[in-house]
Amino acid sequence: MLRIGILSFAHLHAVSYIEKFLAMPDIEFVGIADDNAERGRQFAHKYGVRFFESYEALLAEKPDGVCICSENVYHHPLVLMAAEAGAHILCEKPLMTELEHGREMLTICERNNVQLMTAFPMRFNAPVMEARSVVTSGSLGKIYGCNTTNQGRMPRNSWFTVKKLAGGGAVTDHTVHVADLLRWYLQSEAVEVFAEANAILNRDANPEVETGGLVMISFANGAFATIDCSWSRPPFYPTWGNVKLEIVGENGLLKIDSFKQTLAVYSHESDIPSWPFWGSDSDAGMVAEFVASLRDQRAPSVTGYDGFKAAEIALAAHQSLATGQPVSLPQN
Amino acid sequence: MFRVGIVGAGVMGSTHAYSWARTPATLAGVYALDADQKQTLASRYNARAYTSLEALLADVDVVDVCTPTDTHHAIVLAAAAAGKQVLCEKPLARTLDQGKTMLAACERAGVHLLVGHVVRFFPEYALAKATVEQGKIGEVGVIRLKRAGFQPRRPDNWFLDYERSGGMILDLMIHDFDYARWVGGDVVSVFAKSSRIPDASAKGDYSQAILRHANGAISHVEGAWAYPPPLFHTALEIAGAGGLIEHPVGSSIPIEVYLNTVDNADLPEIAIPKSPLVDDPYVTEVKHFYNVLAGQATPRITAADALAALQIGLAAIESAHTNRAITLERL
Repeated sequence: MLRIGILSFAHLHAVSYIEKFLAMPDIEFVGIADDNAERGRQFAHKYGVRFFESYEALLAEKPDGVCICSENVYHHPLVLMAAEAGAHILCEKPLMTELEHGREMLTICERNNVQLMTAFPMRFNAPVMEARSVVTSGSLGKIYGCNTTNQGRMPRNSWFTVKKLAGGGAVTDHTVHVADLLRWYLQSEAVEVFAEANAILNRDANPEVETGGLVMISFANGAFATIDCSWSRPPFYPTWGNVKLEIVGENGLLKIDSFKQTLAVYSHESDIPSWPFWGSDSDAGMVAEFVASLRDQRAPSVTGYDGFKAAEIALAAHQSLATGQPVSLPQN
Repeated sequence: MFRVGIVGAGVMGSTHAYSWARTPATLAGVYALDADQKQTLASRYNARAYTSLEALLADVDVVDVCTPTDTHHAIVLAAAAAGKQVLCEKPLARTLDQGKTMLAACERAGVHLLVGHVVRFFPEYALAKATVEQGKIGEVGVIRLKRAGFQPRRPDNWFLDYERSGGMILDLMIHDFDYARWVGGDVVSVFAKSSRIPDASAKGDYSQAILRHANGAISHVEGAWAYPPPLFHTALEIAGAGGLIEHPVGSSIPIEVYLNTVDNADLPEIAIPKSPLVDDPYVTEVKHFYNVLAGQATPRITAADALAALQIGLAAIESAHTNRAITLERL
């Protein structure tokens, strides 16, 4: 039996992840630790699992693996703490909010022989997985560019819009998923990043971070890609948002709308139509891969390094916002 | 009743002739370098085929310039000097200096310079603009525009002579540069990438640009002569502080792949978007320009707007060459 715990329920993806862990027959769920005791107790009660007053107390139980769903800025101390305790880690994205933190997280995990997996569920999205072969088979020919979006509703009344907890706004939250997919699809690293952003959308909520953003990334293989990371779906939009990629090459066009498998529902219960999703559950695939990597004692298919490279792009985008010009990335 | 002379008898000359025929104006004549095209178009509308630009200018009230981009400047200056009202296809000119000279000449001559930024007359684009103006989505924050099709197919097509046309960025994306500015206001900065810059030999021309508007809004503009024929996709999205406009409303297909095929024999030379409408957008545009000339409407697009769109297009090309965000000078 593999023993798994969750550190912090600040990021509500934890709700999805715990349900996956609890549904797995060969997992012993150790419990939840949360620095917000009220929140932690509430979820522990809801799922009938043990609550730990401190992260140290949960890690003292020597879990095989932990899943970290804290506010972005606490990924760094929690990953270090878990690694020192010898627990393998599944960490929510973005991996880090400062470059130096990311380097330290990779180093400490390696030194303690623990696996660090970044929570990039899009890697386990069925349309994304299926369409990747169109790119890697070379049938599009030389890739010219990619027009991508990860647009969503703005998380309201949430730490996501508090700079000292999230590290940034829409650019921090919504650049990394697609940045990771682009690296995975193109099999090439980013060499340069440009970005524009503003805080016009959702102005009524007084966010202290950017709410609209456009990022242009140049890759070493010559392809360029834009990511629209805006929180541009209004609260009354029929669904939470999207992840879309359009890839244009010399031989054609590939369009992926990864959450397009929906119904349109018009209900007397709401003035707003809804688009419920009927596609495969990507979180389940991601959690299963984390567990399998622990069981097989191997690296997960999405690593801490992948998380680092994606977050590096988001951090470069913020740097570009400050300078108004493209920012070069070091090649290593 | 206005007598209209069309200069240029290619795809746009024919389209405009069709449109003028649906106004009270008289399509008096056609002048074009290609004698066959000129004669065919003139015959179709019982108009005269002129042997020189001067002869046409002497015989009409309105000159409609539908020639390659690099020739707009000389023809518009001649028309203005002759005191004729001027319509001119987009882009206004090949260079900013040419454009400025054309504006000054038409202003001096006291004639209109009406530029064919037809996207402002596409009903979905016009409705989206009106929806924004009505305040339905609040202050505009992020605009996304797409215009992607295949490259003009004949290798000797003047569109493919980038010295003459300015290429895909100046000829195609300029539609959306103008539209972005119409909706989002003046543009202060442009950053762009292109598959053909610096590699001019790339088989397809694909580009994306990011614009910053003076009021803080930002725009994403995508253009392509790289989609497999016969695809021609356009899309718009305007996100505001109080709502969102999307077009088109899509299907439920998660993966679509379109690859180039060998047999394209039945395809048109260039891609023009089509939707079933009583008046196609070119007819709507020319009818509007007719009303402007008749003193019954103010122009939906001014010559200054067309000059500003040209400036954005040229800045996008410069940005792709220099790898810098280009700050636009106030015109």
